[in-house]
Amino acid sequence: MSQIENLWSRRLARDLKCLLLLCALMCFVPLLDLSPYTLGILIVGFYFALMALAWNLLAGFTGQFSMAPAAFSMIGGYFTALLNFHLGATLWIGIPAAIIGSALLGFLLGATVLRLKGPYLSLTTLAFAEIARVFIGNSHEFTRGDQGLNVPTLMDDRIAYYYFFLALVILMGSLIFLLMRSKYGGYLLAIRDDADAAESRGIPVVRFKLLAFTISSAMCGFAGCMYGTFSQLVSPEMGLLQQTGLIISMVVIGGIGSITGPVLGALLVYLSSEWLRDIGNIQLIVFALLVMIFARFFRTGLWGIFLEIYARLKSKKHN
Amino acid sequence: MKVEPLLRIDGISKRFGGNQAVDHVSFDVPHGIILGLIGPNGSGKTTVLNMLSGELFPDEGITYLEGSPITRLSPSQLAHLGVIRMFQMTRVFGRLSAFDNLLIAGRAMGLTAAEASTRAQSLVQELTLEHVQYLDAGQLSGGQKKLLEFGMCFMCPPKIALLDEPFAAVHPVMRETMSRFIQSRNQSGQTFLLVSHDMPIVKSLCHESICMNTGKIISQGPTRSVLEDPNVIEAYLGGDHE
Repeated sequence: MSQIENLWSRRLARDLKCLLLLCALMCFVPLLDLSPYTLGILIVGFYFALMALAWNLLAGFTGQFSMAPAAFSMIGGYFTALLNFHLGATLWIGIPAAIIGSALLGFLLGATVLRLKGPYLSLTTLAFAEIARVFIGNSHEFTRGDQGLNVPTLMDDRIAYYYFFLALVILMGSLIFLLMRSKYGGYLLAIRDDADAAESRGIPVVRFKLLAFTISSAMCGFAGCMYGTFSQLVSPEMGLLQQTGLIISMVVIGGIGSITGPVLGALLVYLSSEWLRDIGNIQLIVFALLVMIFARFFRTGLWGIFLEIYARLKSKKHN
Repeated sequence: MKVEPLLRIDGISKRFGGNQAVDHVSFDVPHGIILGLIGPNGSGKTTVLNMLSGELFPDEGITYLEGSPITRLSPSQLAHLGVIRMFQMTRVFGRLSAFDNLLIAGRAMGLTAAEASTRAQSLVQELTLEHVQYLDAGQLSGGQKKLLEFGMCFMCPPKIALLDEPFAAVHPVMRETMSRFIQSRNQSGQTFLLVSHDMPIVKSLCHESICMNTGKIISQGPTRSVLEDPNVIEAYLGGDHE
């Protein structure tokens, strides 16, 4: 009997191809002779794409609704900045420290809260996020409080930074693809759909939730550290709950539970947020309304709408 | 030499607030048997199954698998020891295809990708699910979901399958498929603990049965004699029958 490839693996492969296509198109954007300001906006858009990918691994692929992605980004940024500020550590030490430190904190928080379900997990991670932000903001002697800390830059050229962040989006998307295509990815999807059923089929649910939480935290910490090197500053504002809200709306609008959707959502939401700034500070109202509309009528987001149109066209062609 | 039963339940009890759901229940499940667990609604059958599969821990009492205590093990640990459970309310992975549900169940039990694929293909044929194997499990009918969950239990043949109302709300043809499957697996030595309200099926499948009422065992033995026991008839029909 021949071995049949699993369907989730095929779906993921199609998803990754679309992400690569989107990124290939984004490669041509700097050729449009954009201003450094516009390039900066696109780079921050990529930072949010990294954050959306990391949060989606947890919420979209594992069904764990954490409210702390922005806090882990802030923590990652501060690991690098504090090592540099107090010990003069270079980025070669600061970047791995941000990843390992965020992963470790994620592991410790996850080990404490991942037996909780539903709103309790969200509430606990929300409390953690606020405690972390207030703690950093109030520790003036150690963190310089709300003034923030400087972070050394990786490169001076904005175009180079643009391609660097684009490469990071491809790298993170590919890593998530490899994880989700493996049997462990299958377990995470099973946990998302029904954690009790997954446990009774022999999947150690808490262990795999913890794995996803730790990886997601490490990814957020890495994204925060990279953002710090670009803006050359980290501050408690990175951990604001508003930032988490923005990441959630990006994933919901783009398409939760996919790889391309969060990236697409991050770019669209962040770019339109910048454009909406010109006509008054109404972006949060617009995104909140959009999230409500998508959550009510298009639960699979833009990615889901794209897949449905694609399936219809395909069946029309087939007929 | 005395043969150790496959499963030994020794005086387990469970209380939910003021309700004594299971009250010092003890019984053995020998190797290779289909044991029926019957009783009116609220008699404690599912609570017993929940304690055997690790979903609940008993307040008192011990359960043994082949002589080793398994009382406080998690469902996933029990699954790896060979105690697999099918739920009364069907539980499948709704956003994955039916075939992927089987694959994941197989991989979780330690099968390689090739082994899991081969077994999944043979199970979809045996359970007549070929035509829906690539549909998301959430799109299947209630009966097809039951068959799928049933199949997931047998991706890696367990030592004992705990089946909670597998025939409830299932089309007669699917019921027949499931029933044939249970019989054929039992002939090759598979042990079953079957909770069901479907008396004709219990009568035709189960070698022995246990009847519970208000958390206690009121009758046990060969299925025919249990079903004819006046205590059992009274529990099911109430006290005013002839």
